Amino acid sequence: MSQPRKVVAVPGPGAKGSTAPHASPAVRGGAFVFVSGLTAVDPATGQAVRDTTARETQRILENLKLILEGAGSSLDSVVKVNVLLHSMLEAPNMNEVYAHFFPEPPPARTVCGARLPDGVKVMIECTALAS
Amino acid sequence: MTTDRLSRSVIEPANPVLNVSRSANLPHVPGIRIGDYLFLSGMGPIDPATGERRHGPIAEQVRTTLNNVKHMLESAGSSLERVVRIHVVLADIADMAEMDRIYREFFPVDPPARTAWSMQLRFGNGVEIECVALVK
Repeated sequence: MSQPRKVVAVPGPGAKGSTAPHASPAVRGGAFVFVSGLTAVDPATGQAVRDTTARETQRILENLKLILEGAGSSLDSVVKVNVLLHSMLEAPNMNEVYAHFFPEPPPARTVCGARLPDGVKVMIECTALAS
Repeated sequence: MTTDRLSRSVIEPANPVLNVSRSANLPHVPGIRIGDYLFLSGMGPIDPATGERRHGPIAEQVRTTLNNVKHMLESAGSSLERVVRIHVVLADIADMAEMDRIYREFFPVDPPARTAWSMQLRFGNGVEIECVALVK
């Protein structure tokens, strides 16, 4: 397991525009896939989506699913999620959407309020098992 | 692979000046190695020569911090090329573009997974960075 990190090329839907240009959407390191903090984009165009917290959450998690699958993983294999919200008052709106994405039992998760770049309302990162 | 077969050890920077958790008597260590992974504590813009915090322009703070991360990784047998996940926390979200300008010098190709945001930081730091890396 002593190789350098392997950046998983995820050229397909979900990746484009979801992260800063100098972040890889997904990186494989040993047994895990590390996914960057994602913001909401239209998966077809990579254009930023600025919408309600619920709709941004929906977009991000749909794209996260695609990114994980492109990296040989899946939502079922996620072990830890970190959700950053522009306001903790929005946590219930995020949760309502979030609850539909992960099978029981869902992964470990932390949610916190933070200042986010470019007016985004939600940012989500995760760590998953590679297979 | 069970966890009880993974050895866990503390990692420390070769330069003791950068061992803030020890010098400031904080209840954490600079980093932990478990198996082939390194988990680094959040690092800030500490001057590696004096141990003082450098709170100059954000570009300088980011450069100092990333050099400290690099030193820490290399002290533990890893390198920036082996970082898989990185968190960049800014005190001021308006510093994002300037942080990025310096950041990309350190990760020019196939950069790690990254999350960058802003929240309150201690000690007046403009930036703190933590990461997970593989060991060589």
